[in-house]
Amino acid sequence: MQGAGALGALGGLGALSGCAGTAARAADDIAFWHLLSGPDGVTMGEMLDGYMATEGAASVKQTVLAWGAPYYTKLAMASAGGRAPDLAVMHAARVPGYAPGGLLDEWDIDLLGEFGILQEDFPELIWDKMVVDGKLTDIALDSHPFVLYYNTEIAEAAGVLGSDGLLMPTDNPEDFRAMALELGAKAPSGYGLSFGYLGDGSNQWRMFSTYYTQLGGTIELPVGKKMVYQEELVIEAAEWILSLIDDEVGNPGHDGGTAISEFATGGSGAFYGGVWESGNYRNQGVPFDMTMIPGVFGEPVAYADSHSFVLPHQMDPDPERRRNVHEVVAYLLKNSITWAGAGHIPAYSPVIEDPAYADLVPQSHYADAVDHLVYDPPAWFSGSGSDFHTYFGNDMQNVWARRTEPLEGWNAFVARINALLLKPTPM
Amino acid sequence: MTTADALAAPPRGAQQGDSLALGRARRRRSDNLRGWLYCAPFLLAFGIFLIWPTIYGLWMSFTGTSLAGTNTEFVGLANWREALGDPQVWTSLANTAWFTVLSTIPLVVVAMVLAVLVNIGLPGQWFWRLSFFMPFLLASTVVSQFWNWMYNPQLGLINTFLGWFGITGPAWLQDPSTAMIAVVVTTVWWTIGFNFLLYLAALQNIPDQLYEAASLDGAGSWRKFRAITLPQLLPTTVLVLVLQMLASLKVFDQIYQMTGGGPGGETRPVLLYIYEVGFTGYRLGYASAISYIFFFLIIIVSIAYMVISSRRSVKA
Amino acid sequence: MSAATPTATTLSPAVPSVKSPALSTAGRRRRKTTPARIVAFVILAVLALAWLIPVLWAVLTSFKTEAEAAAMPVSIIPDSGFTLKAYLNVLTEGLVPRWAWNSLLTSTLVTVITVAISALAGYALSRLKFAGRQMIITLIVASIMIPGQILIVPLFNLMLSLNLVDTYWGIILPQVVAAPMVFILKKFFDQIPFELEEAALMDGASRLRIFWSIVLPLSRPILGAVAIFVFIGAWNNFLWPFIVVNDASLMTLPTGLQTVISAYGIQYAQNMAQAVLAALPLIVVFMFFQRQIIKGVATTGIAGT
Repeated sequence: MQGAGALGALGGLGALSGCAGTAARAADDIAFWHLLSGPDGVTMGEMLDGYMATEGAASVKQTVLAWGAPYYTKLAMASAGGRAPDLAVMHAARVPGYAPGGLLDEWDIDLLGEFGILQEDFPELIWDKMVVDGKLTDIALDSHPFVLYYNTEIAEAAGVLGSDGLLMPTDNPEDFRAMALELGAKAPSGYGLSFGYLGDGSNQWRMFSTYYTQLGGTIELPVGKKMVYQEELVIEAAEWILSLIDDEVGNPGHDGGTAISEFATGGSGAFYGGVWESGNYRNQGVPFDMTMIPGVFGEPVAYADSHSFVLPHQMDPDPERRRNVHEVVAYLLKNSITWAGAGHIPAYSPVIEDPAYADLVPQSHYADAVDHLVYDPPAWFSGSGSDFHTYFGNDMQNVWARRTEPLEGWNAFVARINALLLKPTPM
Repeated sequence: MTTADALAAPPRGAQQGDSLALGRARRRRSDNLRGWLYCAPFLLAFGIFLIWPTIYGLWMSFTGTSLAGTNTEFVGLANWREALGDPQVWTSLANTAWFTVLSTIPLVVVAMVLAVLVNIGLPGQWFWRLSFFMPFLLASTVVSQFWNWMYNPQLGLINTFLGWFGITGPAWLQDPSTAMIAVVVTTVWWTIGFNFLLYLAALQNIPDQLYEAASLDGAGSWRKFRAITLPQLLPTTVLVLVLQMLASLKVFDQIYQMTGGGPGGETRPVLLYIYEVGFTGYRLGYASAISYIFFFLIIIVSIAYMVISSRRSVKA
Repeated sequence: MSAATPTATTLSPAVPSVKSPALSTAGRRRRKTTPARIVAFVILAVLALAWLIPVLWAVLTSFKTEAEAAAMPVSIIPDSGFTLKAYLNVLTEGLVPRWAWNSLLTSTLVTVITVAISALAGYALSRLKFAGRQMIITLIVASIMIPGQILIVPLFNLMLSLNLVDTYWGIILPQVVAAPMVFILKKFFDQIPFELEEAALMDGASRLRIFWSIVLPLSRPILGAVAIFVFIGAWNNFLWPFIVVNDASLMTLPTGLQTVISAYGIQYAQNMAQAVLAALPLIVVFMFFQRQIIKGVATTGIAGT
């Protein structure tokens, strides 16, 4: 359809350039892309080294791209070009918007079985997310919820630790606020909670999604129709979040970096963040523990996503290399106790059920979160680092910064999402 | 082109004879074939990689084409209508225009000042040229890395320097009130060498006699600058101004690399929005429509320049 | 008629083109040291320093240890002394050498192909009075107004169907179309007296032979200028290689530096070492060929932007 006739002269050229790049590599030379940097990247590197030390292992070369849009843009463009890497990591919530476009190839369930990975090794809820349109599209490595970190020394001084040494449970907004204020009274910065949001749409969304869902709110994104949500719960959630960054409980103007350094230097009592920050804090030596975000409005639901393995579309994949890729993923799943060390909750049940996992602290303190996760509402534009998060940040940042009313910011966000829903799904 | 035609058909006396005229006629016929043959490699590449994408892009703007190659059907003016009503298109166009204004002025004025200062003939010519021109030879990525590091809120040289005077500098690239300025400063630093060079060349083409005559009339340096240098630099200034505007309108690299269009879209130029819509958002058809709206604006600027410059040459 | 017309005057061999700045200043009379000149010198020195500081700061950082580079308060001279560690890491562990090779390969091919096809077409348009010549010239001049950047979307789609995404040819081919260069070369050939060729033609030499052994040698300066400009442009091009290449091992220096990050967190000294290494080749070349580069950029740049 591109007027190929006129371009026929270049046919030979295409063949010539086929030699460059991916096609020329040996079957045991695997290109692996991911967006895991910092402590996550170090852990992934260790696991790959572990794999490559096994008998007859293929060689895996990892390429790390910047988290979020830059990564997903490159991955989509590479898949569209048909010369994609052999293996990649995606966030599970982004897969449904991605797979129908033919940008991902299917996993071979029999081959995985050969390497000892079976359907029953995954919790049913997670397995369901791995199958898109009846095809096994992504293999979940973990789930990584939004959690509450707390400084154990400050918490102890504030008297909010129970006899078991864990943060005392709270189940209503008043108690939670009182606890935060007590933490703040003993914290050098004067703030009980740290939450960084400036310039970070994803983090704003994680926080909002957590409390909105606790309040019982739901969001649906039906293509061709309008976004479905509960307005009064939106306002309630926004006002609750504002009450946490009111300059009394928490600093009203943090970005991700300053919130992290406030907690990492022992300045504040507690910190809202993804489990993946735990590696940083351990390295920094701050005394901390982690817990599920208290269910102050009901169930202790928390925002989450999963890192999943996918096979980006290749025009003619080498079967031998594909086989090796299945082997690599099987190894990584079976050894995901190492991955749990970086804070993530492994998706592969045998690892979770192993007593070794129960001994991991603080990981075992929030392991129950797997039963209370809320993922992004499925749509082609949602998921970690997606436009959905970016737009949420664009329109709601002024709400958190108290420059606009919650409903005003929210309506602007909804208008943009509705515009996207009216478009035909590009995938 | 008139000179070329005169040269290519050299005047010859008729006494040279009919045989030569005959030979020339034969040559002209074979020139037809040869002309196209010699142009063929260029024309092939030109057709495939410039003309065809220009036409094909216009076609795509009427389709819903996605990155995965789906939805290629005709959707009429839907993309165009959406683009014209998309506030992000207008804010990114406004950002582009604002960037162009902010960057063009110093890139013309400072370049002229630098060139005039260097042209005085102070010792160290090699060093001055190296300092001001060298950044132009750097890739955008290198420039962005250097300046990201300069602007780093905690570890950068700028805030360290301000800290010596007890000033707490902002997070230059993350703060909505400074991000655009910071990007402009980097751009001026990076690309001024080119305009500097054009001005230097123009200055050196001003005949020394003009200055000598003025000296005899007893004119001081400032008067000579106002009466001779500035007017003589006018054609160059118009040229530099237009080239700079066209270059600034196409800004992408350093903004993508330094702010990613942030904070909150404050620095996002239209090319970055096209990239985001097309490749990050998978909507190639819609991105094409925005590209063409932008294209038309560039053509308007170019035509405006041509009108101005032709009016000037008529006067001259 | 065209946006590129003003250039023509600067290019011809007959009209004095951009005078070599180094020569012309040397030719100027020595002037006395006056207070005004001292002031000008000081202003210039301050500005030059301001221009060099970002580079010096990056170089300084690249010789620090990672710990020292990220240490607060910022030190100018590190307590632990300077080290080459960042450079060693970059050269041994990362893909920088590979990217440098890709940059050299693609930029060289872009330059060679561009100069070859542009010179051939420019010669035909200058010397051969073939049917359609005027149409081609008009088309080429008009096309100068098309900003290549807006073509990224259709061009990427074209590359998909030609199967050229993630290949060297995918990087190279769209960059060889340089309409302004054809125009510049044509203008230059126009100024070469035709008598030289006429004589050879009468002796029965073929057009191609005349082009090769008479016209090209006479055009060495302009070919050099075009080549320099095209090479710098290709070496530093970011947007197109960034769009068409996703495979890290095929990236050029500018795209690789931007896209691929370290798995081990932000490493300032290594980032700066990478940037300095990427900047080095052209800066070294510039130091040796300052005059030619300045001339080349000034003559061709006007139409090439």
